[in-house]
Parts: sequence; structure tokens; C-alpha cells
Amino acid sequence: MTVDTAPLRILLSEAGYRFVDPPILSEAAVFLEVAGEDLRRRLYMTSGPDGRELCLRPEFTIPVCLHHLATGDAHRVADYAYLGPVFRHRAGASGEFHQAGVESFGRTDRATADGDVLALAIDAANLYGVANPDVRIGDSLLFSAVIDALGIAPGWKRRLSRAFGDPARLAAAVERVSGGTTAGAPAHAGFLAALDGTDHAAAHRIVEDLLSIAGIRSVGGRTAGEIADRFLEQSSLAAGGGLDARARAAIERFLAIEGRPDVALAALRSFAAEETLDIAGVLDGFEKRSEGLARRGIDFSRLHFSSGFGRRLDYYSGFVFEIHDPDGMAGQPVIGGGRYDRLLPALGARTSVPAVGFSLWLDRVKVTS
Amino acid sequence: MTDAPLDAPLILAVPSKGRLQENANAFFARAGLPVMQSGSERSYRGRIAGLPDVEIAYLSASEITRELAAGTVHLGVTGRDLVEEEVTDFGQRLELVLPLGFGHADVVVAVPEGWIDVATMADLDDVAADFRPRHGRWLTVATKYVNLTRRFFHEHGIADYRIVESLGATEGAPASGAADLIVDITTTGSTLSANALKVLTDGVILRSEAHLVASLPANWSGAARGALRTILDRIEAEAAGRSLREVRADVSDAEGAALVASDRFGATTPFGTSKGPLTLHCPAGKVYQCAEWLRTGAGARTVTVSRLDMLFSATSPLTAHLLGRLDAYTG
Repeated sequence: MTVDTAPLRILLSEAGYRFVDPPILSEAAVFLEVAGEDLRRRLYMTSGPDGRELCLRPEFTIPVCLHHLATGDAHRVADYAYLGPVFRHRAGASGEFHQAGVESFGRTDRATADGDVLALAIDAANLYGVANPDVRIGDSLLFSAVIDALGIAPGWKRRLSRAFGDPARLAAAVERVSGGTTAGAPAHAGFLAALDGTDHAAAHRIVEDLLSIAGIRSVGGRTAGEIADRFLEQSSLAAGGGLDARARAAIERFLAIEGRPDVALAALRSFAAEETLDIAGVLDGFEKRSEGLARRGIDFSRLHFSSGFGRRLDYYSGFVFEIHDPDGMAGQPVIGGGRYDRLLPALGARTSVPAVGFSLWLDRVKVTS
Repeated sequence: MTDAPLDAPLILAVPSKGRLQENANAFFARAGLPVMQSGSERSYRGRIAGLPDVEIAYLSASEITRELAAGTVHLGVTGRDLVEEEVTDFGQRLELVLPLGFGHADVVVAVPEGWIDVATMADLDDVAADFRPRHGRWLTVATKYVNLTRRFFHEHGIADYRIVESLGATEGAPASGAADLIVDITTTGSTLSANALKVLTDGVILRSEAHLVASLPANWSGAARGALRTILDRIEAEAAGRSLREVRADVSDAEGAALVASDRFGATTPFGTSKGPLTLHCPAGKVYQCAEWLRTGAGARTVTVSRLDMLFSATSPLTAHLLGRLDAYTG
């Protein structure tokens, strides 16, 4: 029951990607640092003789990044391919499965690089009999640009950005920052009322003083200043300082835009014009990428853009895509990928490095014998 | 596993120290299952008078949980918190037979009282996401409940944190700087208050209590099943006795009064309504309302209420259910 990987190796090599074979046994800390504690329950953990936590690699992107950083200047152009086993605890499925994919670093012609990688991913899916791929694309830069242009307060922007990519969480976050769920009086309502009308800096000093008068030192690792910040943020939300109706309507209108890239682009342009939002920069990028895809002969009727589509991994920083097989497992992409310019800096590069890639789940493709 | 000798005994694991042991021993004694340590006080084996097919193993509560999951003991007394923490697939491997009415404790998320801006898990999510950009490290949670914490935080969509495993005095971690907040067990909340910590309003992960727990993968020989029936019969009799009160009243229309008492207070008539004063079994929490109504509503001149030591029924739903699961278990 193994899939034939020889044609895939040829495809990726001929596209100019050099195969690398990073170690299976890896430092667990690096994966947990990037993905958070929640990943731990999916890792096969072990420990070294000195007590360091080790794990079997759960994916290839981070190991390939580490290889890139260890072998030269972080900003050099390099295209890597990989194929091999990865290990994750999965309910009802084997914890060992194979992935293949590519990572492309250092190309500053981002829109073209995005198109190249997506086109290669579609070719790879094709090798495994995905004749009619359903390609879902999204771009979190558009969402960021919209909430920037709406002039939303930084605290609310953070919350919205964090929920982006998960429609239910995003809807809840929009509701929350609109003040919609502050049922009943907020905690410390009397104190907040007394602060009402005080300018922000003065209010901040009052809250900070109050904490120190109360002798509150045990605040974990948080400073009195940051507690005061957030306390005042909450109070402004309670006082109706959350998202206004116009911003909320604009966000909801934006999130409803979807369709073929060319159709979506037209809808985005008229949305921006009617809402008078200056997001021309990211729209031009979107257009350039779409043109690149068209030049490569990619059938636009296969591409489905959703403005709310994102992949729930912190390091993705813009264009993302998933390739589904309409005749295969529902809900499980065969390929997932996107742009992650923030990952190499998180792993030690001094500044952001252009990076884009994809992974193919070899356990999700049809067995071709 | 079907290769158990037919006469292999049932192994009942009982906590080996502290309040949990005292409570467990008192519970088994009330249920007519007096636990006797064999030989010296320090022995880790024991038995129950009159039940030769039962062996007692004295273990710590968390060992009991693990041995139950592994199937090396048949029955055990342990906290629900430990079951859910240590056995991820406890629903498949274990049966929580019965809550025992002691060892109550909540597993909660508690943050420093000084965090006046944090009252809910949603607030904590904000703080967590903001923490790393501000401080260059993850928000840290001290706990011994690593799995419960991970599951609960995941349910609340919180990913930006790290767990610092803590094996004792968790509540001191925020003050000592070992972690920013904690997930820990609390009974009255006084230890948390003493450490200037507060529980988040939606931060109760689990309300725990000591349970009698059965291991499905254990070797259930014929002798062990026989012993199980006896033990559950007595425990059920004790539990039913504990939760009910016997109420007697000299009402004129026993049948009518019984209907109302059943409808309003959930009381039953174990011996029918045909002869003598009406005898009801009334849930302990409804006794006062029931006694009131019997006098004001049903014309009784005298109502007596007594505790029931034991109540044996012809049928045992607990035993039937557990034996059904044992037969269905295929490992």
C-alpha cells in the first residue's frame, strides 16, 4: 500500500528544487516555540541522555528552515524539496505517515514565487490522479489591510487578526470587540465610572498607582503598566468604544467576498472604492499574483478565493492555499501551503526572509499502482 | 484476555495514605465491607472479612488510576481528576461506577488577583496572545494537570502558552516567578486566596470527587465477577441508604398522598400503600418539604423520618450495566 514517489521526485527536481533530508530526531523546543503548547499532545516525545526534550519531526518546514539557516546566509535564494516520514499522534490513524513538498526561500519577487509554487503544487496533485483539483486560496494581508484602513484600535486589531482563518472564532471576536457580549455591568464598574472622562495617560497612572497601593506584586510576569493598559481597553469597550457599526459592516461585507480570483478582485476593488478604504497596495499584489497564475495556464475556474480563508498556523503571513480532491477524503486537503515570511526570523534569521512552500500528504492520495 | 484462572481473585485498590484512605475505609465499613490490613500496619496487602475472593492492594491514588488503566487491578478508589488527567481514553477503558461522596475538589484556572483586567478565559486568551510580543517568552502555566490543562485551553482556543510542570505547592508559582498562572485543585479556595490568586469565572475545568472505578481490560474471572456482584450489591445498598430517608406518616388516604409525594418530591413507596402508616423513601434533600406537606396537605398528625443504613433491591442497575460493559469489552 505505498504510493509511487519516483515521478514526484522527478517533478520537483526538474522544477529546480534540491532534495534535502533533515534529521528525524529533532529538538522538541523549536517546534513548541513556533507552534505553542498545544502541539505537544501530537508530538512523539522522548528525551536525550542530558534530559533535553527530543521529538520525532512532526513536519518538514521547520527542519528545512533550520537546515537553510545552518548552511549559509539566511537571505540567499534557495529552493528545497523533501520527501519522507513525519510523526504525529492522530486518533484512529497511524502516527507515521509520509509527506513531500517544497520550500522556496529568498525570492523577493513574491507574487511570482507564490504563483510558481501553487502551479507546482497543482502539477504534483495531478501526478496522484487529482484531475479536478479544488484549489482554495486566501490572503491574510487583505484582511490586515482592511482593518488597518478602517482605523481600528490596536487592541481590537490584534484580537481580530488572531481569530482570522477560523470563521466561528472571527465572528465571536467581531461580536466581542463590538461590545456585543459585555452582558451586565463590567467588573469594577464604579471605579471605571470614576475614571470616565480622565485622559488616557492620567487614567493609566491612576490604575498603576492603585495596583501598587494595594500592594499587588504577585502579578505573574505581567507589569502593572500592561494590566492598566488592558484594564482601560476593557473599560473603553464597556463604554461603547468598541468597533463602530460602520467598521463592523465593512468587515462583514469584506468577509463575504469570494469566488474566482478575477471576479473576487473586481468585487474587492468596488468594495474598497465604496467603503473609501485605501488598500490599493495589497490589491495590486493580489492582481499581480493572479496574472502570474493565468500566465502559467492555471484554470481560474479551479481556483476559489475566500477573503476569510486562512490556515491556522501562526507563521503564515499572507497568501495561503489548500488543494482538495473532490473525489477524495472530504475536508482533508491533499496539499496545503502558503507564504511564511515570519518563520525564518522566528528561528533565528535577523530580518524577515521571503519564504513560500507546500506540503503534500502522501497518505491522503489515491494509491496508484 | 480470557486466560485468567477461574478462581483468580478480584483486586480492589484502596488509597494507602491520608484523608482519602480514612474516607475510603469508612466508606467500605459503612457498606459492610470492612477492609483489614494483613499483618502489620505497613503491609500493602489486605482483605475484606467474609469475602475470600477479594484482595486489597494499597496504592497511591495516582498509582491506582494507572493500574486500573493497565488492567492490573479490577476496582479502585480514585479521584475523577486523576482519571481524566492520566487516562486519555478513560471512557473506553474505565467505568466510573459510583461517586463516593468524599474527596470533593475542583480543578480550576487561577490567575493573580492583581490581574484586574482578567475575569474570563477569553480575557486570558487576549493576555496569552499579547504576552510573547511584549515579553519575548510564552505565558506560563504551572500545573500537575498537564493533559486537562491542554484540553481545556484548546477548547477555549488558547494556544499561546507553555506548561511548567509542577509537582507540589503549585499555588506558589506566580509569586515565586516560576509561572504566570496556575491550574490546580481547590476545595475551599482558601489556599488560592492566601496566595492572592482568583479563579476565572468560566475557569472550572472539572468538579472532581472520589469514585469507585472499574477496569474493563482487567482479567475478570468467574470468581472476580462473583466478588464484584457482592461488592456492588453492598455498595449500592449503602449508597441508596445514604441518599434516601425513610418517612412514615399516619395519613388517611395513603394512596393519594403517595401519588403527590412521588410527583412533588420524587418519593417512592417501597412496601406499597395498603397497610398501616404510609412508608415513603424520600430523597434526603426533599425531606423537610415532604414532611411539611404530609402534615399540611395530607392531614398527618405525626411524621417520622429515619436514616436508612442500607437498602437492598431485587435488581441492581449498576451491576447489570458494568457486567454488560465487561462482556462487550474487546480491548
